[in-house]
Amino acid sequence: MSDTEFDVIIAAYLIPDLAEKDFDALVRLVGDKQVKVEGVALVINDADGNVSVKETGDHLGRKGLEIGAGVGLVVGLLAPPLLASAVIGGAAGGLIGKFTRHRVESGLEDKMGAALPPGSAGVVAIYDRGKAGTVDGTLINAVRKSVAQVDGHGAKKLKAALGEAQTGLAG
Amino acid sequence: MSDGRDRSKLPMPDPPFSGSVGRTIGDSAPDWGIIDDAGPPAGAPNVLLVLIDDAGFGQPSTFGGPIATPNCTRMAEGGLRYNGLHVTAMCSPTRAALLTGRNHHTVGYGSVGEFTGPFPGYSAMRPKDCAPFPQVMQLNGYATAAFGKWHLTPAHVQGPAGPFDRWPNGWGFDYFWGFLAGESGQWDPMIYENNSVDRVYGGPGDRDFYLPDAMTDKTIEWIHGVTAHNDAKPWFAYYSTGCAHAPHHVPKQWSDKYKGMFDAGWDVYRERAFARQKELGVVPPDAVLTPRPDAMPAWESLSENEKRLYARQMEVYAGYQENADHNVGRILDELERMGTLDDTLVIWIWGDNGASLEGTITGSFNELTMPNGIPLTAEQQLQLTLKYGGLEAWGGPSMNPHCSAAWAWAGNTPFQWGKQVASHLGGTRDPMVVHWPARITDAGGLRTQFTHVIDVGPTILDIAGLPQPVEVNGIAQRPVHGTSFQASLTDARAPEHRTQQYFEMYGNRGIYKDGWWAASMLPRIPWVVTPEIMKNFAPGVFDPATLEWELYYLPDDFTQARNLAADQPGKVQQLNDLWWAEAEKYGALPLLGGLSAFFGVVPPLSAKTRWTFWGADVQDLSQGAMPPIHNRSYTITADLVIPDGGADGVIVANADAMGGYALFVQDGRLRHTYSFMGALIFQQVADTPLPTGNVQVAMDFTADAAVMAPGGTVTLSANGQVIGKGRMDHTVPILFSAYSGLDIGRDNGEVVDRAYEDKAPFPFTGIIEKVTFDIRPPADPGAHAALHQAQHQGQQARHTES
Repeated sequence: MSDTEFDVIIAAYLIPDLAEKDFDALVRLVGDKQVKVEGVALVINDADGNVSVKETGDHLGRKGLEIGAGVGLVVGLLAPPLLASAVIGGAAGGLIGKFTRHRVESGLEDKMGAALPPGSAGVVAIYDRGKAGTVDGTLINAVRKSVAQVDGHGAKKLKAALGEAQTGLAG
Repeated sequence: MSDGRDRSKLPMPDPPFSGSVGRTIGDSAPDWGIIDDAGPPAGAPNVLLVLIDDAGFGQPSTFGGPIATPNCTRMAEGGLRYNGLHVTAMCSPTRAALLTGRNHHTVGYGSVGEFTGPFPGYSAMRPKDCAPFPQVMQLNGYATAAFGKWHLTPAHVQGPAGPFDRWPNGWGFDYFWGFLAGESGQWDPMIYENNSVDRVYGGPGDRDFYLPDAMTDKTIEWIHGVTAHNDAKPWFAYYSTGCAHAPHHVPKQWSDKYKGMFDAGWDVYRERAFARQKELGVVPPDAVLTPRPDAMPAWESLSENEKRLYARQMEVYAGYQENADHNVGRILDELERMGTLDDTLVIWIWGDNGASLEGTITGSFNELTMPNGIPLTAEQQLQLTLKYGGLEAWGGPSMNPHCSAAWAWAGNTPFQWGKQVASHLGGTRDPMVVHWPARITDAGGLRTQFTHVIDVGPTILDIAGLPQPVEVNGIAQRPVHGTSFQASLTDARAPEHRTQQYFEMYGNRGIYKDGWWAASMLPRIPWVVTPEIMKNFAPGVFDPATLEWELYYLPDDFTQARNLAADQPGKVQQLNDLWWAEAEKYGALPLLGGLSAFFGVVPPLSAKTRWTFWGADVQDLSQGAMPPIHNRSYTITADLVIPDGGADGVIVANADAMGGYALFVQDGRLRHTYSFMGALIFQQVADTPLPTGNVQVAMDFTADAAVMAPGGTVTLSANGQVIGKGRMDHTVPILFSAYSGLDIGRDNGEVVDRAYEDKAPFPFTGIIEKVTFDIRPPADPGAHAALHQAQHQGQQARHTES
């Protein structure tokens, strides 16, 4: 169990390639060990409404919130149907049920979908609260950001924080 | 071409009966000459007059711009380009001048059509002794029709009570199909046909509808009908697009054609357009591109997000205009198919005031945020754009967008400024193409004569062989101010038909005389009408004698790039004196008469506090006829009959999600939704379902204070019992929409609350016996008067943007 305190940020982008640029910058910071994350996801809803997801985090080998091990933490929590099909696909068919359950339980996908219309993108990150300023400064091209504290450990706490961040984004 | 008839007094007198009448037919001598179907003289052509809205000299490819206008180019290559056509720098004034052949102030249109004023030059009341030329054509036997934007009917007469002499039919059009306001949504227009509302087209229930397509179909249908009925009768069609006025609405396939084309920004746009203009020859080779004013940011100073947003704005604006060209092309194709194009006089004017600067620097997801005093930062615009669907939705029905003022400035290449700025060519010069193969022999030629829209009507009448009447409907007519430029159709070196012309719009002044142009721009950026700025022009503060003039010599300086005022003080003084003389002569005084509400000149306070609508058959009430709820406490009360099992639907709705309110029942509960111009949405829902039977429901808004845009509390009630409460922190101070109507019992067009969009127009399933608005002015008369004045200032500010 890590003692690190985490925040969740959802950053919405009007321009997908600017989201990708910020996402890559954040991942570089993670790679350089300047920021510790539990997960970072880039969600792109293209002009035709096709959603794709790129995620990193768990492969960095840290132990933190102890959920989502072996799978994408952020994706696992969001897990809207399109994310499930895009990310999990057939290769991880055994996990579909798990993700679907998360989707149903969290009920977050509608809000996320509303926040990301076709032709836009989002970055979701769960990161060391002590690096909040660095993360905020890295996601510089986001047009809206919403941050919530992960109050404690475990999936429920994380989902709650993610839900809070999403509510903030939709407001 | 004269046929010997006296056409100086219209209508022409009935021909005398030259036969005889006895007791029987045998005793009588017939005279078929009494069946008077007087037409214009032989050879009078069909006339198609096309006017594009809010567009600039540097936009259509026909004049070097980047917007593909192949049909306009086709007309130019088979006809003539005029690069010296002038407009008044504003919508209604240009239209009034165009259709009357007289200067805009003379016919009461120193400002826009909605807003009547107490000075003759600003009344929006065309004098009866200034008959429009379409009426002259009509009374001489032309079939006449107008399609699309009108914008010459005062707001307060836009309703079933009329009067209708200020509607299009009253201006001499046999038929009208379009919208009366200064703008319209292209996805859900409220369409008028002749003297009444036809209906709202499109909206959530018909996403395939697009106004430019429909008005083109209507135009072709009308031409077919006239031709089928009487192909010997010439026709005059005035095709006036809502494009390219905001909201910029166009199907994605048109805007997507321009993807990436404007990524280099507005500074590069101007350089490229200018180069093409020189290549085409519509700008002389020695012309100088005018620099970017300080009010416009350099493209390179913008953030990446801003660049992407603004580039998309221009892609949509461009696609919107290309679509307009396409639709005019459909009419031309049809005339060609009918074999009449070559003998139809086509006059196509690409813009009535230059491109519009009213989007402010950021542009807006909703063009009416700024006129309502809701200034939004670039960051907020980005956020709201995302909220309403992102860049892919820009141009679609979810937003009412306008582009950045800097794109408009670029669209007016190579000139300075744009709409409203009558002192400079960016607001006063637009492209014109004339096509008439039957007469024009110099196909593809360029004409440089200084021309004004007041010359268009006299030219058409001249070509049709119709004299200016001295009397119309028993009223002696004032002479027109325009002069025919027919000679230039066949002679590139025809003498200048206009050697002098004044310009004035909201204090921006210009005067042209024998090549010289003096320009005096009021020290106000066109989109800024804040009290802090406007107080500089108040009586006792403002002295026009202190305003500086710039001086240009257009034969050597096509773009107004070299200010010669310092070297030519005598010429400046001469033109200053001439401007004042012309202003007095044509009714432009008092100066700033179009902004008089800012200086306390407002209509008398109305004592009316109650508006009653006796049922759900009141639909599509125009903005000028609505209960004035803004900045006041008010109560909406509805007497309903709710059947067993309950009822759902809209009780009353005004406008849409981009600004408006709806009182409705959904899932059995009374609900109120109020859109603060889309920037904020306030919703209140009753705690309990409504009872059945006779039910009186009410929504009360009690303002916190007697101020503009007040916050306040909302109370929902049923049969006197409070069933819900809420709060609105801000309310809309000026107007929700420029074109969307108020409906009882449904929500026509785009809806206020998109939660019921899938049920639109969401008609009420019970019975609405009556809806009443009770408006409570402030108890303090001083506060009431102050609010009244502030509101009219706001309305006037809004109308400077029409």
